[in-house]
Amino acid sequence: MDLTWSPTDVAFRDEVRAFLQDKLTPELQRAGRLMTSVYSDHEASLQWQAILHERGWAAPAWPVEYGGCDWSLTQHYVFSRESTLAGAPALSPMGIRMVAHAIVAYGTQAQKDFFLPRILTGEVFFCQGYSEPESGSDLASLSMAAISDEASGDLICTGSKIWTTHAREANWMFGLVRTSRTAKKQQGITFVLIDMSTPGIEIRPLVMTSGEEIQTQVYFDEVRVPKSNVIGQIDDGWTVAKYLLEFERGGGANAPALQVRAAEVAAAAASQPGPAGGSLIDDPGFARKLADARIRTEVLEILEYRVLAALSGGGHPGSASSMLKILSTELSQALTELSMEAAGPSGRAYQPHAALPGGPVTEYEPPADGYVSGEPWQAVAPLHYFNDRAGSIFAGSNEIQRNILAKAELGL
Amino acid sequence: MDFNLSHEQQLLRDGLTKFLSTRYDLEASRAAVKSGAGWQPDIWRAFADELGILGAALPEDVGGIGGGPVEVMVIAEALGLALVVEPYVDTVVVAAGLLRRADGDVAAALLEDIVAGRAIVALAAAEAESGDRWQDAATTARRDGSDWVLDGAKIMAVGAPIATHLLVTARTDSGISLFCVDVGTAGIELHGYRTIDDRRAADLVLTGLRLPADALLGEEGQAWPSLDRARDEGAAAVCAEAVGGMRKVLADTVEYCKQRQQFGQPIGSFQVLQHRMVDMHMELEQSVAAVYLAVLNLEAEPATRARAVSAAKATIGRAARFIGQNAVQLHGGMGMTEELAIGHYFKRLTAVQYEFGTTDHHLARYAELTRA
Repeated sequence: MDLTWSPTDVAFRDEVRAFLQDKLTPELQRAGRLMTSVYSDHEASLQWQAILHERGWAAPAWPVEYGGCDWSLTQHYVFSRESTLAGAPALSPMGIRMVAHAIVAYGTQAQKDFFLPRILTGEVFFCQGYSEPESGSDLASLSMAAISDEASGDLICTGSKIWTTHAREANWMFGLVRTSRTAKKQQGITFVLIDMSTPGIEIRPLVMTSGEEIQTQVYFDEVRVPKSNVIGQIDDGWTVAKYLLEFERGGGANAPALQVRAAEVAAAAASQPGPAGGSLIDDPGFARKLADARIRTEVLEILEYRVLAALSGGGHPGSASSMLKILSTELSQALTELSMEAAGPSGRAYQPHAALPGGPVTEYEPPADGYVSGEPWQAVAPLHYFNDRAGSIFAGSNEIQRNILAKAELGL
Repeated sequence: MDFNLSHEQQLLRDGLTKFLSTRYDLEASRAAVKSGAGWQPDIWRAFADELGILGAALPEDVGGIGGGPVEVMVIAEALGLALVVEPYVDTVVVAAGLLRRADGDVAAALLEDIVAGRAIVALAAAEAESGDRWQDAATTARRDGSDWVLDGAKIMAVGAPIATHLLVTARTDSGISLFCVDVGTAGIELHGYRTIDDRRAADLVLTGLRLPADALLGEEGQAWPSLDRARDEGAAAVCAEAVGGMRKVLADTVEYCKQRQQFGQPIGSFQVLQHRMVDMHMELEQSVAAVYLAVLNLEAEPATRARAVSAAKATIGRAARFIGQNAVQLHGGMGMTEELAIGHYFKRLTAVQYEFGTTDHHLARYAELTRA
């Protein structure tokens, strides 16, 4: 047991820092710092991915043969932490951090050869088609029909998906469709990759409370999907989805980003007045809430480290990912609230023009002179607070995660 | 002890609630905020002429009906239930309260205009350096002959972009003073914006703002007790407003959980969600009680009033947070969109936690008032 870094790790950290110093432009940093949700500005995110790819660092967690890095656990952690500290924009999680793992584990050689290199370059940009209007927490009840057409060998898909992030920017979707109805609803589901340019697909943006169009509802009317785009076996997509959900929920390193945000809240609070006069950071009530959040980020870091250690031994996150998902999303939400408190009266002004939202903002006319009440972080604070409510809802609500833990960890 | 509304108060509540349920459309009001004038002047006109709510709690000598804090509570709760964005609390409770205590012809004339629906008055008290501590305002006022000259900057003056008049706080050697300003006066640079809960507000830069002698409301340097009271009256009114909003989101959430089917049954049949909604219900009931506590002490001596209002605001701050966040959580993704009412109410219930003193501010003030 050891928490210190070896000289090799320190050298690696310096290498990463030098890279970030060299390549992370102020514009890209701005995109990282002014994020209003877990999604960066789309263009900035792709630009940063291209820069990382050039260095071979776009998908460090992948197997080396497909473009991943032969890093130790500590190196993965160092890379993630340094990127966050430097304010690098987040990459879209859907391709590199999610579907790619399914393709690696369950895909055919042809699928690996086609998709993996293109995901790395950003040429293939994925969105996710899981939830349906009537199937949210109860994902396995999904009903989007995929009927096998014997003549062409295609699956013909009809139905609707909802909460699809960046559907308009994506050129591919990975999703779950119903290929047969059996007594057990988890059977008869198939994991497919859908070319978003296929005829019959319509996209309707959903305006979130932040005013941003990040999510969409996607409608499918007899959309043809070749069977060569099925990942794993027909009717056995639930196996693939369950495997992927663990990657979606945890197994990453969220603590560094949360620590950076906590430090930003502390700096912000030092610049703002407290309720009893003086600086907000000196207000005992606020200081204790912030300290509590920071302590939780430090403890989360060790927890994540332990899960990463298990992963590097060839395992997968398992139900621990449910715990990490609950802890990190609730901590993130707590930080958005502290940021709102620090923002003071200006934090109640709606000023998306001073932030970099994750999607288009409609029905909003920015001031002609670009005026901002307070600093940009004060404009980000309420948008991030609103958007971050999604943390306890997406990827299986935190109520569902607690059900999973009760069953898997406690045997209840 | 009597917690019943009088016959007149019941009529006021029922008349306003009926008016709002038939005439105040959520979509139309949001459209007005987002791309229109920022509010619906015809609704305000109806408040004055058809319903008489603008004068309900103001004295008869300025054209009002002579009601008090209970009337304000009844009106604010009904406005909260319908998510009304027009500046009732800012103009009719906060600004009118300051004007009533100021005396003088300017104040009396403006009060008459408020009752008649001709004037919208916004208070400009918060500043970037002192936040919500209005007593620490750094904006200055100096005499120049018989005039006053103001310099400084204000933030988050709610209602200012649609106001006819502003009440501006400024410091002189003897303390905080209050000035009444016509919005068109030279020397005011106004930066208007929408708030996160779809109101209109503005930051103001005052540069050599020259005002006549009678713009000073009340005695020079003596405005703090009245401002302190106005803030408590505003806090009590938004607490009542929040109760209306919380009633709506709890009712919507319960209904949604009865309808929404997952795992072959209504999600409301799951015990974890039942308990959550029961907790929301208890937060709401405590909020109703806390509003009574504040409202029935609003006219008490300052320390008693402050203690009751802080207890109420801290209670409502906690409740608005819990009920708002869980209403969204139980609606799932739909609760995060603008497609259902819940998203709009959530934003208002968020802003309420920070208006007229944050939850922490009121906890700190309550602790201070009860330490001996």
